[in-house]
Amino acid sequence: MTNCIELKGLVKEYKTFTLGPIDLTVPGGSILGLIGENGAGKTTLIKSMLGITQPSSGAVALLGTDPDHAKEDIGIVMDDCFFSEYLRVKDVNSVLSHVYKGWDRALFADYLDKFGLAGAKNIKELSRGMRMKLSLAAALAHRPRLLLLDEATAGLDPVVRDEILDEFLAFVSDDDHAILISSHITSDLEKAADYIAYLHEGKLLMCDEKDRLLESYGRLVCTKADLEQVDRGYLVSTRKSQYSAEALVRHKSDFKRLYPRLTVEPVTLDELMVFVVKGEKA
Amino acid sequence: MIGLVIKDFLILRKTLRTYVLVFALYVGLALTGVWAAEFVGGMMMVMTAVLPMNIFAYDKQAKWDTYALALPVGRTKTVAARYLCVLLLCLFSFSLIAALGLIMSALGRFGDVDACETYMVCCAVCGLVGILVSAFMVPLMYKFGPERARLFLYGLGGLIVAVAILFFKVFGGAEWLESLGEPTSTQLAAIPFVAAIAGLILLALSFLLSRYFYGAKDV
Repeated sequence: MTNCIELKGLVKEYKTFTLGPIDLTVPGGSILGLIGENGAGKTTLIKSMLGITQPSSGAVALLGTDPDHAKEDIGIVMDDCFFSEYLRVKDVNSVLSHVYKGWDRALFADYLDKFGLAGAKNIKELSRGMRMKLSLAAALAHRPRLLLLDEATAGLDPVVRDEILDEFLAFVSDDDHAILISSHITSDLEKAADYIAYLHEGKLLMCDEKDRLLESYGRLVCTKADLEQVDRGYLVSTRKSQYSAEALVRHKSDFKRLYPRLTVEPVTLDELMVFVVKGEKA
Repeated sequence: MIGLVIKDFLILRKTLRTYVLVFALYVGLALTGVWAAEFVGGMMMVMTAVLPMNIFAYDKQAKWDTYALALPVGRTKTVAARYLCVLLLCLFSFSLIAALGLIMSALGRFGDVDACETYMVCCAVCGLVGILVSAFMVPLMYKFGPERARLFLYGLGGLIVAVAILFFKVFGGAEWLESLGEPTSTQLAAIPFVAAIAGLILLALSFLLSRYFYGAKDV
């Protein structure tokens, strides 16, 4: 199994924001979910990987080669549809069939059919969700090996999201394929992702297998007095209200063994983010 | 690269349709003698210069640049595709006005050979102005984006007017031109070719500048 994405010390510097240094590896046959609050640098990371924005330093290898050579095998969907309102749906076929060597007109038509876009004419008339589906069809119709998706499921209803997630899971059933998907809909990532990378203020705070991440962290719910008794080494961050306290604890199993009286609940990706951003550092 | 050129023409589809309709109307005006044919030809060539700006504006609206850079095309070919589109638009426009010239000539509306030559020279000069506008504007569009670059177009217009005023009013350009005498038939016939070569050189220089701006651009 080869690595589809390898980032080493990737840095992108702006006047008021610095992304990185980011070290990240995504093996073939897997989905990496990229989470982080607005402005954390998720889109910048994807753009830097592709050379859309020039990285300040670091090395990027996509599908084992440099990004420019890999683009033929990469599908991209970002948070907006890139096709002008002045185009028709079938124009996308005419344009991209001359851009990608591997463009499959029939496959594109199949995806349009699958996504309920077969009868659509003008892009102008499509809803946001329909436009995202069009972008996705365009990203898949040249049979890419790597999909880079930035908020690709935003604006889609749960049924369509579920269909698309199934599409993603089928896509990565090939060990040669991988997906990096940034999303605020963490329930989608909990369902589909194999790895989770958490970006906060341009820095990669966590990057691990999703199951291991969710297994190793927990949400401690206790009184403030109990919280004071706990070994601080286990605590990532805390949130206190007038009568109770919550904390994000690491090494959940060890913690539960050490403090069997305290309640440690499973943590969701949403809660993980909220604790890191809004909690007090322990 | 061809895909990008196709995209540019597809988003201009409606505009080009309107353009052809306007041209048909102008042809009618030229044939009935309301407008001079050279005025129609000149007008069409200058209108062509505006079309690439529309493409930039539509691309900006759709955030196409981000997507274009994710495609396996490369920055140089992306810019080259835009210039190829500019050239094709000029050729399209030129073939329309050449067709007008042929119609006028076939119907005997030019009167004599001199009028026909004047028409071709006017169209060539206007075509050169059109290419000059594109050559000036496209790099600025890459550098500043369509909204800000349009401001430079007004600046260019002002500059041309200022130069013309200085030339004719201050430096006595009219007298100087008169002193050169009437151009010969060979000289007149050479003007369209000289204009075409000058246009291509301008576009080549403009391409290099655009490539430089776009190469360094963070989208």
